[in-house]
Amino acid sequence: MPSAPLLLSQAFNGLALGTLLALVASGLTIILGTLGVLNFAHGALFMLGAYAMYVVTAQTGSFFLGILVGAAFMLVVGVVLERGLIRLFYGRPHEDQILVTFGAGIVIVEGVRALFGANTQSVPTPSWGQGIVQLGFLFYPTYRLELIGIVAALLFVLYLILYRTSIGLVVRAGIEDARMVGILGINVRRSFLLVFALGVVAAGVSGMLYAPIVSVEPDMGSSFLVEAFVVIVIGGLGSYPGAVVGGLIAGEIISITSAFNSAYSEVMLYAVMALLLVLRPQGLFGSEGRV
Amino acid sequence: MAARVRGTLWPELAVVAVLLVAPFVLLPLGFSYDLLQRILDWGLIGLGFDLLFGATGLLSFGQAAFYGTGGFVAAYLLVGHVIANVWLALVLGTIAAGLVGLVVGWLAVRRIGIYFTMITLAFGEMAYFLENSPLSHYTGGENGLPGVPVPSLGGMPISAGLPMYWLLAVLFFAGFVLARRILHSPFGAVLRAIKGNTTRTGMTGHSVPAYKLAVFVIAALYAGLAGGLLGVLQSYMPPDAFALDTSGQLVVQTVIGGVGTLVGPLVGATLWLWLRDNLQQVPHVGALWKLILGLIFVLLVVVLKRGIAGEIRWAFTRRRLAAAEAGVPEETGDAAVMPPTAPALPLSAPLVVARTDAPALRAIGVSKFYGGLHAVENVSFEVRTGSIHAVIGPNGAGKSTLFKMLKDEIAPTAGEVLLFGRRITGLGPTRTAQLGIGKSNQLNQLFLDLTVTENLRIAALARARGTFRADLWRAADSLPAVERQVAAAMETVGLIHRADVPVHVLPYGEKRRLEIGIALATGPNVLLLDEPLAGMSPAERVATRALVREIGRTRTLLIVEHDMDAIFELAERITVLYEGRLLADGTPDEIQGNQAVQDAYLGGLHEHEPA
Amino acid sequence: MNKRIGEAALDRRQMLQLGLGAAGGLMLPGLGLIPARAAEAPLGTWPAGVSGSTVFVGVTSPLTGAYSADGKDEVLGYELAFAEINAGGANAQAWGLKGKGVLGKQIRHAIADSELKPNVAVQAQTQFIQRDKAMMITGCVSSAEAVALEELAQREHVLNMVGAAGANAATGHDCQRYAFRSQPSAYMACKALAPVVAQHYGRGKKVAYLVPDYNYGHSVFGSFSAFTKPYGWTTAAKEVVPLSATDYSSALLNIANSGADIFVNIEFAAQAVNSTKQAAQFGVFKKMQMIVPNISSFQAQETGAALMGGVFGTMDWNWKLEDRFPLAKSFVAAFQAKNHYTPNWGANIGYLQTYIWALGVERAGTFYPPAVIKALEASKTNPFDSTLGKVWYRAEDHQLVRPVPVVLGNAPGAMKTKDDWFNIVDLVPGEQAISPPTFLGCKLGSYT
Repeated sequence: MPSAPLLLSQAFNGLALGTLLALVASGLTIILGTLGVLNFAHGALFMLGAYAMYVVTAQTGSFFLGILVGAAFMLVVGVVLERGLIRLFYGRPHEDQILVTFGAGIVIVEGVRALFGANTQSVPTPSWGQGIVQLGFLFYPTYRLELIGIVAALLFVLYLILYRTSIGLVVRAGIEDARMVGILGINVRRSFLLVFALGVVAAGVSGMLYAPIVSVEPDMGSSFLVEAFVVIVIGGLGSYPGAVVGGLIAGEIISITSAFNSAYSEVMLYAVMALLLVLRPQGLFGSEGRV
Repeated sequence: MAARVRGTLWPELAVVAVLLVAPFVLLPLGFSYDLLQRILDWGLIGLGFDLLFGATGLLSFGQAAFYGTGGFVAAYLLVGHVIANVWLALVLGTIAAGLVGLVVGWLAVRRIGIYFTMITLAFGEMAYFLENSPLSHYTGGENGLPGVPVPSLGGMPISAGLPMYWLLAVLFFAGFVLARRILHSPFGAVLRAIKGNTTRTGMTGHSVPAYKLAVFVIAALYAGLAGGLLGVLQSYMPPDAFALDTSGQLVVQTVIGGVGTLVGPLVGATLWLWLRDNLQQVPHVGALWKLILGLIFVLLVVVLKRGIAGEIRWAFTRRRLAAAEAGVPEETGDAAVMPPTAPALPLSAPLVVARTDAPALRAIGVSKFYGGLHAVENVSFEVRTGSIHAVIGPNGAGKSTLFKMLKDEIAPTAGEVLLFGRRITGLGPTRTAQLGIGKSNQLNQLFLDLTVTENLRIAALARARGTFRADLWRAADSLPAVERQVAAAMETVGLIHRADVPVHVLPYGEKRRLEIGIALATGPNVLLLDEPLAGMSPAERVATRALVREIGRTRTLLIVEHDMDAIFELAERITVLYEGRLLADGTPDEIQGNQAVQDAYLGGLHEHEPA
Repeated sequence: MNKRIGEAALDRRQMLQLGLGAAGGLMLPGLGLIPARAAEAPLGTWPAGVSGSTVFVGVTSPLTGAYSADGKDEVLGYELAFAEINAGGANAQAWGLKGKGVLGKQIRHAIADSELKPNVAVQAQTQFIQRDKAMMITGCVSSAEAVALEELAQREHVLNMVGAAGANAATGHDCQRYAFRSQPSAYMACKALAPVVAQHYGRGKKVAYLVPDYNYGHSVFGSFSAFTKPYGWTTAAKEVVPLSATDYSSALLNIANSGADIFVNIEFAAQAVNSTKQAAQFGVFKKMQMIVPNISSFQAQETGAALMGGVFGTMDWNWKLEDRFPLAKSFVAAFQAKNHYTPNWGANIGYLQTYIWALGVERAGTFYPPAVIKALEASKTNPFDSTLGKVWYRAEDHQLVRPVPVVLGNAPGAMKTKDDWFNIVDLVPGEQAISPPTFLGCKLGSYT
């Protein structure tokens, strides 16, 4: 049995892990909820964001510039992807949409490998994130601590966009009833573009923020994609609160399990998902009617 | 008849021919026996996957879980010296995969579409983790299990190379024959119906979750056998059988080869593995092979919607479809095709003989609230057995909501519905269909890619077979009673001349009639028709009124309609709804004389009269 | 359990090549080191693979997916060796080869991406064997690939010069007669490393381990903890993390709180870099010294000298061995000229294994696989001169008996050149580090 301070530390760490998972999953879930497209390229876009961060910080050394330029770049990527590819698939079955994003994911990963090579790249921790903080019950990396705040702020911004703007209305209407959004007419297509781009930027920014923590390499996104899927299944499809709460739950499961035996952290995550599917198949925040 | 549904034996003969010549034609093209065996192995797992995805429309990204399970159970039994007989190990591995499929499927088929895909993917990953860590004592972890022996036949081992190729070819062919039988069985007809229109399939009385679970397990069994053979063909069971990439590659190959063609996964695997193998050997390509193949895949998904085998089949069927379409008039309203008199073939009697002393349907205080919106509030009325009963009211009066509660498509917030005195509330649309409630919908709910005959057959099969039956081997049209019912329903709605036409090419009026025909073909005791005349031309309306009167002779009929002339001509009794409440209930004469009804209609009709 | 299968596979191969009737005629009495005569029955791809003027070598290595950087490095090592041997220049002569090519035959080769998947590696190599009549198969960056290809080699009777693979199993209970592994086993690496770190850090240290959850990880953990036990080192924490983990925060929290003095990081390649960076963020290095029993090729470049400075570990080979061994010097020079960077140990494995195979063939005087195997097995009496000095293959388990470089990472200020990541603090003789012959459970299969 792990000690109480260790359990507390892991619970805290679960919060940090969870907020990041929530951010990754939220980009996936708004695209899914509004456009009905399950974006299999989400992991690749996460990775692309990290590379954007790597390129900018390697050139300028500025983390903030990295976020700004990186987000702008991801916005362009999102627009190009939507206009060039995803748009062709709105009228086609969900399965075709899944397949084309799956293929796009492969192309992005291998394209990055061709451009940057297979070696891992480093993004330095920004100067304000150096070091380690004494929190009383545990020592915790400064950057990860700050990240909790940054990600929480970003999640709040997303909340404002979704719940306080007209585009947010479209997104939420789409989650409630995709057909009703269709009735709204011509504006929908432009909203779809914005929503898709927003989701891509969310994926990219997650990658950028995570870049100083992990090694940046072409395959770094794949495990996040699967974890984001689990988060969405737990939280409920297309539900923004579901993505946030699901992300926090997933983070806690991984972390608390690690206090006992880290080898089982992933397995435990899937086990909880299976259990939830038995007890509440639509997910915590999902509505029964949605698929 | 059987020959028509099952088609010809050409596909089987073609597959045999290809399997026979493949080693001799493909070897000079740079395919080794090993590669051919692997292609057949992919083809075999693909057969099950195509039944799941191509036929039923369920996209699983977790087939690797069953492929790996079948493979590792068989390999462990052999390598660990638990059993010595390779055939038995393959069978046990296959069964184990089926059992895992049963558990995963039970969880996954509760959700549809994207959700289903995500859940299967997650369980696939979970299986990979389990193989690698907690079960590594049995599976060898990331090293897998080397040393899987080959099976023997009559004392002779089936060695690598040509003999192993023949083993896989024979098993693939057997799997192909079985898959085709399944596809053309009543069971398969329901699978295709689920893909075409899940809701309607359930409404006609088929248990959609049971069929989905069954086909999920069948796909898992195919995957399990293929997994077992993977270990056998290379004497080594690799852990990456469980990897997400395995599931992904299967999907990619199936899409490239052609979804819904059964041979698609085989064709796709041939092309994919060949390209993969040869692209790498092109100078300066090297690691770029995956980027190039990824681009090719995206392009194929965008351009070739049907995949290779699908496009080939399309080239053959397009002419037939064009001919069928040519026979369909642009305009609706060809009343001449409607039978002016009673159909020559009698509709088969309802399956359950009605107890005439009880009302056919009885609603007791049913209400449906959506939040603050009271769509239907405390409505009670009876439908007499054998009568034609109409429900009328202005738009928004709650008629369609009431209808849905009568068939238990939606659960009432309060109250209950009795069918011949038996409570049906809470049973769901599938059980109520089995109990004899047929329903045609306000918005067409058809199986657009199937023919008129197939549409009606889906409906007729329901009460003949119950909510679920795994009759995989018989032909879909081999049940005489069902075929009689199909023919009668088709004649009744006047679509005999369209029997083999895919429904999506029919003009609107004929689709409306088919909508009624499907309800009729379930052989209902009580038939609910939700605005049957909507969108029809005047000539069609006349014909359909005759049709409704005809149907009313043999069964209880409940109809929602805006066409007042039709209602007052047909109905023996009329229930009027207004703003969710019961306004009046009586004979046509009583309703006509009712002041409240007149007020409601005078007040409402000008605003609500449908176009 | 593999041995029984080796025999089963023999039946299959016989049937394929000879038909059932000839099964009895395959025994090769008294072959010894005598060059095979034309009268030998066909075996594997022999003699079909040597009927022309060329001989085919199949190479598989991960070029996409995890470890693809290491795979690329390894492939460049193979390509350099093939080019040198085919040209028959000064380097090939320095290794002891005669003329151009191997026994006068030019090496043809093909490279396939294994994606780090054993199944894909086996698929590609089987294609090379069946279609191209490969006489030798080689390459991998994981023990899983190695074990799978060893099995394939035994079944198909084609030599396998194992690529990068450190788990004990490759020359332990999954060893094969047809497979030869040059990299030190986990056992050798840890046995070489333990006395050096024990002397440096002293007795009675508490150790926290980060163990990737696969055979290689458990293999290294087992060996390292066993070899440091005599020095009173104890396990304070053993954090087993799932495959392909990217975030180590929860495991590192446990390690940071374990009260250990030493942090042994067993992760490999990108995961090693990742976990090291995150360990620094969690302040692990404020309390502990890191030891990496098997340092991956690009670990220092990718992690940076700031974190790798002061880290003890072993590696298969390091370019600084050019100061000790002429063949290492010529290798580094040739590799740099061709590929414009300093070779890592992955490249050395490809390069060294190709040469040793060629030398084995020339010593046997034939490509006939049992003869080549016996020539390699007999190398103890006549060691090969190599990039690692004098080395020889042990007949009992086909582990290369070779010195194990124990290295210490240079701090940023101590680096004299841009590749000066490590100093070789000890070169532990192979005989000293290697396990007792049957300790790891190796039983080699049949020659035929």
